[in-house]
Amino acid sequence: MELAYALNKGAAGVRTEKESYDDSGVSKTLMDAEPGQTYIIKEIKTDDDDMNSFLFRLGCYEGEPITLISKKKKSCIVVIKDGRYNLDKLLSEAIII
Amino acid sequence: MRIAFAGNPNSGKTTMYNALTGRSEKIGNWGGVTVGSKEFQLKKEFAGDKEVIAVDLPGAYSMSPFTPEEGITSEYVRTANPDVIVNIVDATNLSRSLFFTTQLLELGIPVVVALNKTDINEKEGTKIDAAKLAARLNCPVYETVSTENKGLSEMIAKAISLAGTMQKAPYLQADIDLHDKNAVDAEDRKRYSFVNGIVSDVETRKTLSAETTQSDKLDGVLTNPIAGILIFAVVMWGVFWVSQTWLGPLVADWLVGWISAFQEWVAGQLENSPAILSALLADGIVGGVGAVVGFLPLVMVMYFLIALLEDCGYMARVSAVMDPIFKRVGLSGKSVIPVVIGTGCGIPAIMACRTIRDERERRATTMLTTFIPCGAKIPVIALFAGAFFNGAGWVSTLSYFLGLVLIFLGALLIKGITGYKYRKSFFIMELPKWKAPSLKFAFRSMMERAKAYIIKAATIILICNTVVQIMQTFDWHFNVVEEGAENTSILASIASPFAILLIPLGFGVWQLAAAAITGFIAKENVVGTLAVVYALTSFIDTEELAMTGGASTVAATMGLTSVTALAYLFFNLYTPPCFAAIGAMNSEMKSRGWLWGAIGLQLGTGYTIAFLINQLGTLFTEGHLAAGFVPGLIAVLCMAAALVLIARKVRAHFDEQYALHKGSKSVNATA
Repeated sequence: MELAYALNKGAAGVRTEKESYDDSGVSKTLMDAEPGQTYIIKEIKTDDDDMNSFLFRLGCYEGEPITLISKKKKSCIVVIKDGRYNLDKLLSEAIII
Repeated sequence: MRIAFAGNPNSGKTTMYNALTGRSEKIGNWGGVTVGSKEFQLKKEFAGDKEVIAVDLPGAYSMSPFTPEEGITSEYVRTANPDVIVNIVDATNLSRSLFFTTQLLELGIPVVVALNKTDINEKEGTKIDAAKLAARLNCPVYETVSTENKGLSEMIAKAISLAGTMQKAPYLQADIDLHDKNAVDAEDRKRYSFVNGIVSDVETRKTLSAETTQSDKLDGVLTNPIAGILIFAVVMWGVFWVSQTWLGPLVADWLVGWISAFQEWVAGQLENSPAILSALLADGIVGGVGAVVGFLPLVMVMYFLIALLEDCGYMARVSAVMDPIFKRVGLSGKSVIPVVIGTGCGIPAIMACRTIRDERERRATTMLTTFIPCGAKIPVIALFAGAFFNGAGWVSTLSYFLGLVLIFLGALLIKGITGYKYRKSFFIMELPKWKAPSLKFAFRSMMERAKAYIIKAATIILICNTVVQIMQTFDWHFNVVEEGAENTSILASIASPFAILLIPLGFGVWQLAAAAITGFIAKENVVGTLAVVYALTSFIDTEELAMTGGASTVAATMGLTSVTALAYLFFNLYTPPCFAAIGAMNSEMKSRGWLWGAIGLQLGTGYTIAFLINQLGTLFTEGHLAAGFVPGLIAVLCMAAALVLIARKVRAHFDEQYALHKGSKSVNATA
């Protein structure tokens, strides 16, 4: 248990607002995708190693396909491998396609 | 012999464990229902003469934990040396599940793969060649449907026979430096491509997962920020209405008739015995416990309905639709699940917080989730609604709604104190496939609860009622208290000092204070103790009394107005939960500071709400403030001042804390 918490602590992700949106408009994120379309993931930019490797284990990493099912202002639903997931805006914008 | 059950979240481990052991551990159609390990002996029909212990573990996507409950699983399979691992694989998501499978196969412990949910695959036209998969993985593979007990006995027999053998891994991680992030990444990629190779070899799909289906349209509505939240509100209102206004009371009326008949019978039997014995047995024990048991049907109906909700897959959608709102106050969508579970019981709700990854969000949810009235508070709500408000449904609706409002306000407060703005919080929630909820499971969950409730009534509540009865019968010299001198009893002298503190809230009499205090042991005690101290065992007497009519007797005896009654009800609902829940909070928070913060916040909230309702309500109905306004105001202001002081202290540490990257450590020390 202790180990788990220790690993988690680093995950608490302490960053300032500025750092998280430093890619200005050149790349397309999941939030710019069209519903019903499948895309290939170019990059995952969460600035959070634990989050990245968690996504990796779900099958969400560079070179893998991701399908946008539906999109709302603050969230979207995607298909990664054979599972459906609801992602919030912050995470969707960290997935570059 | 120990057999560990490991696999991805929501692959059906606990359902299988329940089927094999005959237990009824909590199940639900979302990832992260099981948050701790559980173990029990296999049923004889599966284990034969051997003693085989099955160990159910929380779901995990891999051996590297992301959330605390995942850590329990990886630590267990690594260090506890189970004899065999049964890896439950969700057959509808083979491509993701096998990543963890290949890791388990490397441990050397024999592995049996249970390819679960094969019924869904049949329906969807997905075919998996189990024999080929077994050959590729180098371990036995069995197709199972744990909800229907299909394939379980063959699978478990094989698992038992494998104990003591060595597993040969089909894929071995290269010898790399595990601290080198790039090397680990590259290795994980290789592992995934190995898995992808197997999947494309053994699986053929008729419907591609990426196609939009009917259920996607439904999900679109349910996760719509406006429609989705309205639907959730209606669904929850429906649950409360059915359990507390319609069906629950209907059954309760009938049950109460039986209880009062029993009580009369006991009183009749004791006619010639000493009055004290008769009072203790008939009024104290049967009356007090009966008062609590009478409300059991309300709790049972609610458990049944909540179990249906949990089993169909709706919880994940609720979590998704509520995420933006909860995020605004510094919690996460995952905080919704503890809140819904908390309508049943606070303890599993507090434990369910483990699936929340961020430590601050997790602790804040643990702290706030018990503001939602739990099953044990239903008797209290029902009693007050019946006695003072003519059984009005709005009392219960308001109690839950106010609980939710308090969660939001509390979250904002914690956000303010701990400086949430510096952190970012991602939300990802798997949306499981919808399924028809199982009436059998819901029924079992309801009966489990009923059993626990009756046991509690027959033990803790019985003891408390007996003690209360004795304490109010005798004074400190162990003389029987005379009629008219009730204030000299042991109970009165202990509770009176507390009662003084409650004067500004409108219920500063020792009887009500005593009931509130016993409520910390178990909330049902509030009802039981009131029954005893006011000798009101009859409020459950005639069939209608507790719920509808005749309630005026209760109201008159307690000497409360409808305003002070509401204040007293809310005081009991929003002050700290029972000791058991506080214990659960302690073990989940792992921080003294947060625990005391939680208790302080809950005491302060309960006090302030009751104060406001009493003072403003009295002003509104009678045109003047209630007694004790000034001292009460001072008390509330002191609490506010304490909050400001804590906030300043915590905030003073911000800069050094972030500079040192210590996470929330210094917050805990001072909060």
